[in-house]
Amino acid sequence: MIDRPIVAEERRTILALGGGGFTMEPDNPALDELLLTLTDVKEPNILFLPTASGDPAGQINAFRARFGGRACVAEHLSLFHLHGSVRTLEEIVLEQDVIYAGGGSMRNLLAIWRAHGLDDLLVEAWRRGVVLAGISAGAMCWFEGGVTRSSGPPEPIEGFGLLPGSLSVHADGEPERLPVWLESVRDGSLPGGWAADDGVALLFRGRQMKGAFSSRPGAAALRTDAVEGELVRRRIEPELLGARPIDPGPPSADVVELRNVQRLRRGRL
Amino acid sequence: MEAGNPLLDDYVLSLMGVDRPRVCFLPTASGDADHYIVRFYRQFATRADASHVSLFRRDREGVESDVAEHLLAQDVIYVGGGNLVSLLGTWRAHGLHSVLRRAWRKGVVLCGPSAGSLCWFAEALTAFHTAPHGVAGLGLLPYSNCVHYDAEPVRREEYRRFVGDGMRPGYAADDGAALHFRGKELVRVVSSRPRARAFRVEPIGNEVVETPLTVEYLGARPLQLAASA
Repeated sequence: MIDRPIVAEERRTILALGGGGFTMEPDNPALDELLLTLTDVKEPNILFLPTASGDPAGQINAFRARFGGRACVAEHLSLFHLHGSVRTLEEIVLEQDVIYAGGGSMRNLLAIWRAHGLDDLLVEAWRRGVVLAGISAGAMCWFEGGVTRSSGPPEPIEGFGLLPGSLSVHADGEPERLPVWLESVRDGSLPGGWAADDGVALLFRGRQMKGAFSSRPGAAALRTDAVEGELVRRRIEPELLGARPIDPGPPSADVVELRNVQRLRRGRL
Repeated sequence: MEAGNPLLDDYVLSLMGVDRPRVCFLPTASGDADHYIVRFYRQFATRADASHVSLFRRDREGVESDVAEHLLAQDVIYVGGGNLVSLLGTWRAHGLHSVLRRAWRKGVVLCGPSAGSLCWFAEALTAFHTAPHGVAGLGLLPYSNCVHYDAEPVRREEYRRFVGDGMRPGYAADDGAALHFRGKELVRVVSSRPRARAFRVEPIGNEVVETPLTVEYLGARPLQLAASA
């Protein structure tokens, strides 16, 4: 195991997006910029996992477009297409500061990560302070359960369970999902939890929800629990991130040099 | 689906002896890559009743009805190449292991290149972010399999080493060579390239022996016809 110490539980971080970010908001970097502030590292390594959609070029390009010019070292990991990497999955995962799981089929995501042993590595990464993030399927996977459309109609599905409770996504953008989630919470097939609109991110430190943020005015999250067979709902008002966050501009000479050194270290130049 | 070379596809389509066979493409191992799906339809749409099943976009496209029912109604199921471990994981999550086994028993022709070949065997040699290692496939064929035998010299060495170390005996195929099994028996080896080879690889005594198999080049006949015209 690469030498990366285990951190205290309250320093383990997950940012779960109900929708939004670089794959859904090409003109609004607010949530992605928020993500980069969650690590203490000045020039974080950020890894994109486009597994849930089968590594499509569109998502990978959107990731590069969003993070390529920012103060970070961005790369993606494909589990479908060979790219001549000699690094093991463990080396790739544990040298990251941020790992971002894309949306798509949650059923496929879980199955493929398990088949490659990536699920255990991601849990290790979380325990060692790597910030985990994701949108849609890539957000729900960290919870005990979610609502997936992997087989067509929405249905409850079990997740990895790093975070307690369930998450439902696209609460405003895909309205057919919400009733299935509410009914699943009511009948106990899913534990109580959160539903997040597109543009809303929930921040967890350890297993506790510590904040809700939004890239769009009007978007919100919903906390729902079943109490004696009745649903108890509470609306969560997220903090609206700056409508037009600061453009970091092109990377400085220092940043470019640091990046080159990091690439050199990995034997890629 | 080799660029500009339909010989193996023609061979597969001829196996059912029907005019317009039902052929379903499973591009799972590539993550349902769009360009691969387009290539499949370009190659097959005019000659077959072509369809595909997407396991990544089941909410949006591909076969609308029940996937199992659709697959069991095919003449040919064509599995695309890509990553074997991701392929098997995704299939398992959608219950396709048992569906494909049923299709095979029912007489549906199962075929595919690369990961689409490895998946049918009991064991397969694959390498992905790791040293080469054995992966258990669906096990319809009780052998091991190694593909791209000529294209990636390391594979050949590794496969021989694995078979020497206890991987079950099996078959290796160059790019362009196809192993045709009926039941569990290898009945023919055909190729789309004149020099493509295939081997039986097995331990005999203390040695791993590579026995070349007779390969029929499928292009021979059309070429002669062209010459006489």
